[in-house]
Amino acid sequence: MKETLKNFIFAELIYHEDPTSFGDDDNLLDAGLDSMGIMRLIMFAEKEFGVTLPDTEIEPDNVGSLNSLENWLRRSGYAG
Amino acid sequence: MTNSTEQLFNPGDYFTYVLDQEIRNAGMPGGYCGFALQLAETPDLSGLQNRLDLLVERFPQASAKIEPRGKRFAWVATGKPIALELHECRADADEADESQRILLEIFNRPESRPLTVHWIAGADGGTLLLIWLHPLLDARGCKILLDFLSSERPESFKDSLSLIEAKLAQWSFWKKLQLFFKAKRHNTQANSLDSCLPTQVEQGPQRLKLKLQSFDADQSQRIAKLAQQYTGLTGRTLYYLGCFMRAMELVGPPAAKEGYCIPYAFNLRRQNAPTPVFGNHIGCLFARATRQQVRDRNGLFAHLLSEHKQVVRDELDLAYLPLMWLGQWLAPAKYAKILRKQHSGGELSSLWFSDIGELSWTKTGFLGVPVTNMSLLCWMPLPPGLALLACQLDGKLVLSYSYLSPAIDEAWLDKVMSKMNAELLETGEN
Repeated sequence: MKETLKNFIFAELIYHEDPTSFGDDDNLLDAGLDSMGIMRLIMFAEKEFGVTLPDTEIEPDNVGSLNSLENWLRRSGYAG
Repeated sequence: MTNSTEQLFNPGDYFTYVLDQEIRNAGMPGGYCGFALQLAETPDLSGLQNRLDLLVERFPQASAKIEPRGKRFAWVATGKPIALELHECRADADEADESQRILLEIFNRPESRPLTVHWIAGADGGTLLLIWLHPLLDARGCKILLDFLSSERPESFKDSLSLIEAKLAQWSFWKKLQLFFKAKRHNTQANSLDSCLPTQVEQGPQRLKLKLQSFDADQSQRIAKLAQQYTGLTGRTLYYLGCFMRAMELVGPPAAKEGYCIPYAFNLRRQNAPTPVFGNHIGCLFARATRQQVRDRNGLFAHLLSEHKQVVRDELDLAYLPLMWLGQWLAPAKYAKILRKQHSGGELSSLWFSDIGELSWTKTGFLGVPVTNMSLLCWMPLPPGLALLACQLDGKLVLSYSYLSPAIDEAWLDKVMSKMNAELLETGEN
């Protein structure tokens, strides 16, 4: 799951010289993920993993890193 | 264009060219935009000139001219250098006023070149003004251009294929067709709500003027916090848009109709990417609300956020790309009519808007010199005759209002800006 998210983020939303060096706990917001990017990321994740992510939970703790995103998706019902 | 002398417009370039032609046809200079950086000291001006020479050598498009190619248009290299133009503030005048006077004089003059660069010298430091023609590049591209001019590694900046065309190439014919009809429906819907306008004037000689609204670090933090509270982590731009709709509604729109429609760009560039430098890599989205929705502050932000989410969920952010691709074969006047006119015949845009986002030169300055302030400018058609451009310099919000005078009543705009201040900071003065 993290690999899929990471591929989407670095192919579509953020430029990084070496995405392989970007760690699962590294901060996506500091790396340049902006408000429009967060929206596109959430919509991508919902479609890709078949879950609905509650609007009220869109906060830095849930979208700040690949690990936090994965945890949020699992809490929201993704069982894959 | 790096390896050839000619580059066909991409669909985003043509979209902006059509609006450039509308502006020129109304007797104004064209679709020019400007970034003005206030610098604490005079930078190395000969070093800057050398870098401009390198820019034209590496990216001939920077000094190219536009020529028709059948039904389409292309940038054709001229090889002409870009000379840094020097201006000086009069010593006996207030420096800030004088600098702004010179800046507006430059911006109002007739122009055909796609990119000009100016140094307006003050007693200490001055203003670096970069003016570009929108078909050449979008605002994020201009930030990359500034980075190129100031970078220690200019070789790392490269041109690449149009992101719009790369995206279109990924989709099957049927997917493009599906998206095309989605965008068409979205456009029809946007056209159904008659837009309030900031002026009733539709023609006559105009001059572009500029008003700035700057917020200190504490105020900017408060605005960011309120934006998160009302429009969530995903919607800072929507907060500015909503506050502006309310400010205009509270003062009273000079051309009062059913609601507000504010187009804003969706940029395909990846954040922090040094490439592509040139070209427009944008789609178009609309923030729309009826006057009744605008009057309910909480309801308005909830509406704008839900509308925006639906747009991304329905892939409408991408749906404009096939529409723009087909638009390339329409004559400018016909395409402009589709872009600007509503079913009623009125103007679609209540104003022009762009959020450039966060900009910072704190690490190395611009050419080693601290950037102390910044403003943005752009020409727009009449109506609406008003553009709001937002950016954050080192965390401090700056709102730049470009407006056409005498079409826009300055006293009216002052009142709107005062209401905007109260709306953004939620000071309860409304």
